[in-house]
Amino acid sequence: MAVVAIDGLGKRYPGSSEPAVEDFTLTIGDGEFMVLLGPSGCGKSSVLRMIAGLEPITTGTIAIDGRVVNQVPAKERDIAMVFQSYALYPHMDVFNNLAFGLRRRSVPAAEIDRRVRQAADKLGLTPYLRRKPHALSGGQRQRVALGRAIVREPKVFLFDEPLSNLDAALRVSTRNELIRQQHEIGITTIYVTHDQVEAMTMGHRICIMDKGEVVQIGAPLEVYRSPANTFVARFLGNPPMNLVPIELGQSSGRLGNVDIPLRSWSPRALGHARTVLLGIRPEDLYETPPRPGDDLVPIAMQVSAVEPLGAETLLVLTLDDGTTDIIARVGRDTRLRIGERATVLLDTTAVHLFDPTTTRVIPRDLP
Amino acid sequence: MWRRTPLLLFVLLYTVVSGGPFIWVAVMSVRTTPEIFASPYALPSRFHWEKFVQAWAHSNYSTYFWNSIIVVSTAVVLITIFGAMAAHCLARYRFRGNRPIRFLILSGMILPPQLLILSLFQILLDYHLYNTLTGLILVYVAGHLAMTVYILEGFFAQIPQDLFDAARMDGYGDFEIFWRITLPVGAPALFTTVTLNFIVLWNEFLYAVVLLTEDDKRTLPLGIMHFMGSHQLDVGMVATGLMIAITPVIVLYALFSDTMIRGMTAGAVR
Amino acid sequence: MLQGIGSRGRREIDARRAAPATLTLFLAPALLLYAGFTIYPVIRTFYNSVQTIGPQGQQHFVGFANFSALLQTDFVFWKAVGNTALFTIVATIADVFGGLLLALVLFARAPLAPLLRIVWFTPVLMSYVVVGIIWVWIYDYDWGLANQVLRAIGLGAFEQSWLGDPHTALWSVMATHVWKWLGFNMIIFLAALYALPGEVLGAAELDNCGWAAKLVYIIIPMLRPTVVNLLVLSFIGKMMVFDLIWIMTGGGPLWSTETVSTYVYKRAFDWNTFDLGYPSAVAVLWFIIILAFIVLMTRLLRQHDRLEF
Repeated sequence: MAVVAIDGLGKRYPGSSEPAVEDFTLTIGDGEFMVLLGPSGCGKSSVLRMIAGLEPITTGTIAIDGRVVNQVPAKERDIAMVFQSYALYPHMDVFNNLAFGLRRRSVPAAEIDRRVRQAADKLGLTPYLRRKPHALSGGQRQRVALGRAIVREPKVFLFDEPLSNLDAALRVSTRNELIRQQHEIGITTIYVTHDQVEAMTMGHRICIMDKGEVVQIGAPLEVYRSPANTFVARFLGNPPMNLVPIELGQSSGRLGNVDIPLRSWSPRALGHARTVLLGIRPEDLYETPPRPGDDLVPIAMQVSAVEPLGAETLLVLTLDDGTTDIIARVGRDTRLRIGERATVLLDTTAVHLFDPTTTRVIPRDLP
Repeated sequence: MWRRTPLLLFVLLYTVVSGGPFIWVAVMSVRTTPEIFASPYALPSRFHWEKFVQAWAHSNYSTYFWNSIIVVSTAVVLITIFGAMAAHCLARYRFRGNRPIRFLILSGMILPPQLLILSLFQILLDYHLYNTLTGLILVYVAGHLAMTVYILEGFFAQIPQDLFDAARMDGYGDFEIFWRITLPVGAPALFTTVTLNFIVLWNEFLYAVVLLTEDDKRTLPLGIMHFMGSHQLDVGMVATGLMIAITPVIVLYALFSDTMIRGMTAGAVR
Repeated sequence: MLQGIGSRGRREIDARRAAPATLTLFLAPALLLYAGFTIYPVIRTFYNSVQTIGPQGQQHFVGFANFSALLQTDFVFWKAVGNTALFTIVATIADVFGGLLLALVLFARAPLAPLLRIVWFTPVLMSYVVVGIIWVWIYDYDWGLANQVLRAIGLGAFEQSWLGDPHTALWSVMATHVWKWLGFNMIIFLAALYALPGEVLGAAELDNCGWAAKLVYIIIPMLRPTVVNLLVLSFIGKMMVFDLIWIMTGGGPLWSTETVSTYVYKRAFDWNTFDLGYPSAVAVLWFIIILAFIVLMTRLLRQHDRLEF
C-alpha cells in the first residue's frame, strides 16, 4: 500500500543529445492502477526502470510513501516487477521461481510455502509447481511472472508491457485476469504499455507520454473525450480521430463546401487563427440521423473504400478536394459501395479543434 | 546406387585410416612382444590381460595417473571458477577499463608457449615452484584463462538482462546473482569449457616436460614418454601403457561424444 | 555519514554497474594469475632476449647481439624457419581442405554419418604423445604399417625409413599432424554446412543445379568466412608446432624436421650451452613474425570481417 510521488523526473543517457525523460511529474494514489501509455521510445520504460531502481535518476525525485528513494537500491524499495520477457529463472521450477524473492527476505520456510501455494492456487498454477519454465505455455509463463510479483506482497507493482508476448485471444483473457487480481489485491500498480486498448480498459488513470514528456493525465474516458493535443487524439481510438484542416469563418469553419457551425467556441477562443485542425471521431459520423436535431450537418463525399468488420463497417470517404480522407464508423448494414457518392451526417457537437502550429486543443468556452 | 560407390569406398577407407591405429594398439596391448614381432598385424591368439597389471605395477604408472588426475582436476576447477567470475564481470557490467581488460586477457590466446616457457622456468625456480604440481597447476590455469573467458563471456553476454534485473528486484546482490543466476543458467557453456580444458590439459606435454623433471611428479604424457624410453624394444608393453593412457578418454568419449566434440571445437565455432 | 550511504547506494541503482570493490573481487583471481604467469613471463622473455644468462643465473646485457647472431650466422635457425614455413603452409592447406572434403562427404548423406562423425573425430582427442608413438611404429622400416602396405600392393620399391631419411621425415610427421587434426576442421565445416540456409540450397536445386555446380557456386562461397577462420586458426597453431615433432623425431635427422619451437627448446634445455638469453631472442623474434602474419592474414583475408577465433 503506497503512494508513489514522482516530481520533475528527468533521465539523460550518456552520449545521447536528447533527454529520454524530461520534467515528468505524476502522483499515483494508494491502490491506484496507473497506466503509462505511449509509443515505443517515448520514455515510459525509462520511468518504470527508475521507479524500480534499475536505472539511476538524472534529475528530480521519486518518493514512495513520502520517502525519497532516489538513492535506495532496488532490493530495498519493496517493489515487484513483471517484465515483458517474464524473466523467469530458467533453471528453477515454478515453485522456486515464486519462492526466490521470499528466500532472500528471510521469510520463514513455512510462510514461503503457504504464500507460494496460495498464489499458485489463485493463478491456477498448482498443477505446474514442479515444472520448469520451458515446459510451460506462454500464458502459464505470464501467470508465473505475475505470481512472482504477488507472493512478494510488495508496496508497488510494476508491469512492463506484460501482455505483448501473448497471442490476441490470450491477451484479452489475461488482461481481464490482471484487472481482477489488481482489484482484489488493491496494491498500487504502474503499468507500461503502448497498447491503447489495454490502457483504456485497465487503468484507473492513464498518463500519456510522448518524446519523454507527459502529454496528458486523466481517467480513460476523460482523456478519450477531451484529448489535450493532436498526439493524444490520434493515439487513443481505433481508427484514430480524423484531423482535417478547415478555414475559419464567423463562428463556423468551412470544410470543402460545407459550413460547420462551431457554437461552443467564442471568437475570442478562436483568436486570430485562419486555419485550424478539425478533429472528428469516426463514430461521430452517421449514415442515418441518430436523433432529431439541427446539429447534424450533411457532408457529401466519395466512397473510396469499404471495410466491413462484422459488428460495424468502416468507410473511407474522400472529400471533393480529392486528397483528404475521412474515416467513418457506420452500421454493419450499410449498402454503400466503392465509387458511390455518399452523404454522411457529422455531429457538430462532438468535434474538436486543434491549433495547427502548437498541436494543442482549442478548448470550448461556450456552453 | 553405382553413383555412390566412390563415396562409400572413401568413407570406408577414411574410417580405417582414422580409427585403425587405435584398434591396432588395442590388439597389441593384449599380445606379447614376441607374438607381435612374429606377426605385427595378427589378431591375438590369447588375451594377455596380465600385461595391464604388469604395466601398472612395474612402472610408476599409478603415480603418473594420479598426478595427472590431481593436476588436471584442480586446474580445471580453478580455471572454471576464476574464468567464470571474470567473464561474468566483463559481460555484465559497464565500467571504465572493461575493454582494455578484455583485450589483455583475450590476447593471451595468440601467445606462443615458447614465449612463456623459458621465463616460466626461471620464475617457477624463483618462486620455489619448479618441479611441483602446484607450479604446473598455476601455469595451466593462467595459460587457459584466455580461451575460457572468451567462450564464457560470449555465452554470458547472451543471457537476457531482464533475468538479472528480476533477481535484483527479488533482493539479491552481485555475488548471489553470479552464483544463483549466471552459473546455473550458463551451465551448458561451463560444461563446454570444462570438457575443453580437461582434454587439452590431460594431453598437455610441453609445459609439463619443462617444468617437471622428477619421476614421481610426472604427469601421464611424460610418464608414457618415459615408459617408452625405458621399454624401447618391448613394443607389446608400450602398447599396453598407451592403452592405459587412452582408455579414460575413450570411455568418456563413448559416453559424452557430443559434449567432448563441442568442447574441443568451442573456440573455433561462433 | 548520510552522504556515505548515499554514494554507496548510487552505484547499486544502475543494473549494469557495480561498486569498484565488487568488480575487483570478480576480476582479481583471474587477473593476478594472468599477470604472474602470463604477462610477467612474456615481459621477462623480452628482457632475457637482450641478455646472456649463465648456468648459475648470472646475466649480462648484450643488446641485440643475440638477434644479430641469430639472423646472420645461425644456419640451424634458418633451417628451422624453412621447415616451419613448409610445415605451416602445407599442413594448413591440407588440414583445412581435407576437413572440408570430409565434411562434404558426411553432408552428402553418407550412410552412418552421425557415427562416422564421432569416429573420425577421435584422433583430435588423443595426446600428441599417444599419436606420436603409434605413428613412429607405423613408420617403422621393418614392421611398420606404411612399408607393409607398400610391399603388399607390390610397391616394395618405394619402402622407406620414413622418419630416418632426411628427405621424407618432415613430410611423414606432417602427414601424422594432418591426420590428427582433420577431424577438427571437419566438425567446424559440418556445423557451418548445417547452418547454411536451407532455402538457398533448395533454390539451387530448383535451378537444376548439380552437385558440383552447387558446391562451387553456392556452398564454397557461403563457407568463405569459415574457411578463412580455420586457415588463420590452423596457421597460427602450426607456426608453434612442437610436441609431435619432439616426440617423433626430436628435430632430426640432420635438422630435417627442426622447427623454430623445437630449436628454442633445445637451445634452452637440451644443449650444453645453458643460456636462456639466446633462445629467448628466437622466441621473441618468432612471436613478432607470428603477430605480423596474424595482422597480415586478417587484413588480406577477412576484408571487413571481425577477427574471431
